[in-house]
Amino acid sequence: MSETLLFLIPLLPLCCAVSNMLFGMRLPRLFAEIMAVTGVAGAFLLTILFWDYAEGEGTRAVLFTWLSSGAVDVSFAMNFDRLAAPMTLMVTGVATLIHLYAVGYMHEDGDYARFFGLLNLFVFAMLAIILADNLLLLFLGWEGVGLCSYGLIGFWYHTLENARAGTKAFLVTRVGDVFLAIALLWLFAVTGTLSISEINAQAVSISPGVVISLSLLLLLGACGKSAQLPLMTWLADAMAGPTPVSALIHAATMVTAGVYLLCRLFPLVSLSAVGMTVITAIGALTALYAATCAMAQREIKRVLAYSTMSQVGYMFMAVGAGTVTGAMFHLLTHAFFKAVLFMAAGCVIHLAGDENDIYKMGGMARRGPVELFWVFLAGAVCLAGLPLTGGFFSKDGILLALFTHPDPAYRVFWLVGVLTALLTAFYTFRLVYLVFAGEWRGTGHPHAIPLQMRWPLWPLALLGLAGGMLNLPDFVGGDEMLHHWYGDLAGRAVTASHSTEWMLIGLAVAIVALGWFAAHWRYRNYRPPVENRVSRFLLNGWQADSLVDRLFVRPFTAMARFCFSGCDRSLFDGTLEGLAKMATRYGALLVQLATGRATTYLSAFAWGFLVLLGWFLLKLVNGGGH
Amino acid sequence: MTTVLFYILGFIMLAATLLCITRRNPVHAVIYLVAGFFALAMMFYLLGAPLVAAWQIIVYAGAIMVLFLFIIMMLGLAPQETQEGPGWQRWGPLVLLSASLMVCTVLLIMQDPAAGKEIGAFYLAPQAVGEALFGRYVLAVEMVSFQLLFATIGAYMLGRPLSKGEEQ
Amino acid sequence: MVPFGHALSFAAALFVLGLTCVLLRRQVIMILIGVEIMLNAASLVFVSASAYWQQADGQVFVILLMAITAAEVAVALAMVVYLWRRKRTLVADEFNGMSG
Repeated sequence: MSETLLFLIPLLPLCCAVSNMLFGMRLPRLFAEIMAVTGVAGAFLLTILFWDYAEGEGTRAVLFTWLSSGAVDVSFAMNFDRLAAPMTLMVTGVATLIHLYAVGYMHEDGDYARFFGLLNLFVFAMLAIILADNLLLLFLGWEGVGLCSYGLIGFWYHTLENARAGTKAFLVTRVGDVFLAIALLWLFAVTGTLSISEINAQAVSISPGVVISLSLLLLLGACGKSAQLPLMTWLADAMAGPTPVSALIHAATMVTAGVYLLCRLFPLVSLSAVGMTVITAIGALTALYAATCAMAQREIKRVLAYSTMSQVGYMFMAVGAGTVTGAMFHLLTHAFFKAVLFMAAGCVIHLAGDENDIYKMGGMARRGPVELFWVFLAGAVCLAGLPLTGGFFSKDGILLALFTHPDPAYRVFWLVGVLTALLTAFYTFRLVYLVFAGEWRGTGHPHAIPLQMRWPLWPLALLGLAGGMLNLPDFVGGDEMLHHWYGDLAGRAVTASHSTEWMLIGLAVAIVALGWFAAHWRYRNYRPPVENRVSRFLLNGWQADSLVDRLFVRPFTAMARFCFSGCDRSLFDGTLEGLAKMATRYGALLVQLATGRATTYLSAFAWGFLVLLGWFLLKLVNGGGH
Repeated sequence: MTTVLFYILGFIMLAATLLCITRRNPVHAVIYLVAGFFALAMMFYLLGAPLVAAWQIIVYAGAIMVLFLFIIMMLGLAPQETQEGPGWQRWGPLVLLSASLMVCTVLLIMQDPAAGKEIGAFYLAPQAVGEALFGRYVLAVEMVSFQLLFATIGAYMLGRPLSKGEEQ
Repeated sequence: MVPFGHALSFAAALFVLGLTCVLLRRQVIMILIGVEIMLNAASLVFVSASAYWQQADGQVFVILLMAITAAEVAVALAMVVYLWRRKRTLVADEFNGMSG
């Protein structure tokens, strides 16, 4: 089979997206839904079909030349290699399940064509990022996911807040995109090409100062999409969108795009130790920050959003520690259990009568279908890192990589990671207890949960629990499948003595137990929430929004007001208006001459006559006399 | 003798005109003007234009001024006094203007070399006038007669009583 | 006889008086009278010039001038009557419909 057929993988969702957008509202609803699900499911099947192409060096395929002028030669090229293939499989698989879930979730909403069109378009853009062999194509996908994210977060735009949340997400990620664009242009200037494989090959020949700057720029671009510090303010508000959107975009795919970018350009990024340290530091700080905020959140989806931010911080820490395998492992398991958590949260919200506040829930275990509790619990224990779950192995892999890093400064980051794990366990079980335990505290009217919203939860929950099998470390008898699959793309090989590993595992178990006990002691029997300064500070995300507002938005608004009122209105309009008024005034003065009275005109004659005579006289006197 | 007479008549004419332009009652003004025209006619005679002098009296004083009087009487403008507007603020600059104009004109006239020469004795008989009028200037006569026709028609049109529809 | 300049000066004085009448008086009738005076001044100039150069042309012109003046006065006075019927006043300043 020809390798250009690989392009069907991203193009199938694109075609379904375009058809849905153009004709969706005219087709019967079932038709549009089937088309949407088929688009993504088809991509999933094709990925499985073409799996062999990814082995070895991978397959490069070119569809057509996009730009070709002078030194610039950009083509639609994709690189289906060992890094891209598992990611593609995960994205398409999780997307299929989420599409099914979305069919049930949105069955009462009349705007299905726009929704499924955007959802499919998003999958296309994400696949463009994953499969691109060309930085410009990656940037196209990068912007595409930003656009679809904006459209989907603000899907119910008739409520102004949702539209604002979408705008905020778009603008903040855009800031990151600017840095990415600068990195792109700089890379082109330095290496003369935009092809990722060539850049990675040429990476060693770039001067160290440039490499550091490029790494930092790429990091900032990744921070935008992955909601890390300092560009993280958009993720919590993005929960205004429908739950399938949160599950797909803000759990599994878009927020991981930043991590994927860094892994893709790992040969370049890993060259500078300073850059790697900064990456790890950002990841650590974000993880800690997000975990503290998650402890005080009241809305169920916001807890999960901050938890996503925290887990992506772990992935950044893994990249900074040098292990691509660790980062991608955690990325994959996180996709599974976070998606199932979001989808289950959507079911919970439905059951609570569209109520978001966990302090108004409770007793959900008995109210809803019996499997809802077990599925949510499965996701929760993965998140907390209960031993033998997928989340446990992936998180532990990252902590091990941090602990065994040659640079002793990384112990600090390891400590931060451990502390964050403790907080993660705490807030996870807090969530579980407040939502599911005790008595029903709410007042809403439950909605029925359609079948399509229930059964996609199971595969994801099972995958989350069993995800550890992907990269089981060998000291417990596993074969490190993922690490061997990546081969030389895997980054630093993490090796440690068995005793170190068992000690770390013991520590992890202790942490989870500690977190669970703390949450159990505090939240098993319901207590009304405490409102003090600390909780409000954490609830508002360490007041990050007001900080951004004060630092950037207000000066900008002041400057805009100066330019508009001060310059544009007063200066330009004022000058023009002043000129017009002056002209009118002088015109009014002149008009007084036109009195319409014959006597005035006669007087004018007489005076003019005098002037003429006087002039003749003067001429005569001058001509004759001197 | 004729010289002295000329000057006297000249001053009479100017005085009469001055009085004319300063009267409030329009009838008085017209009468003074007629007196002035009489003086002017005699000046014409002294300058050797008896026919013109006669026609000055017949046409100007006899027809045109009478027409003025007709209109003044018909419209009832006299003895109604016209209200005077602002006093010397209005006619002060005008008198100044007139004086300046006078001075300028006289100065200009005095510049010309012909101004000093005397007008010789001259007398043109009516016959000579007739020969010139209907000889060289017969075309002008015809055109003037056309104009009189136009004037008649125009005066009739303007003087028609306004019907209800025309009144605007 | 008199120097030519003096005759012309008389005519100039008469003309200026007529101009003053035109500018000074507010009633339309008086303005027309001022016009008459100015025309007569012109006649005086023509006649004295005709005497100076001993030719008949000046006098012929004066005759034609008189005819024209007659026509003009006829039309002007007809207009005065019309204006009186329109506005019942003859103050020239009242007829400022073409102001602005």
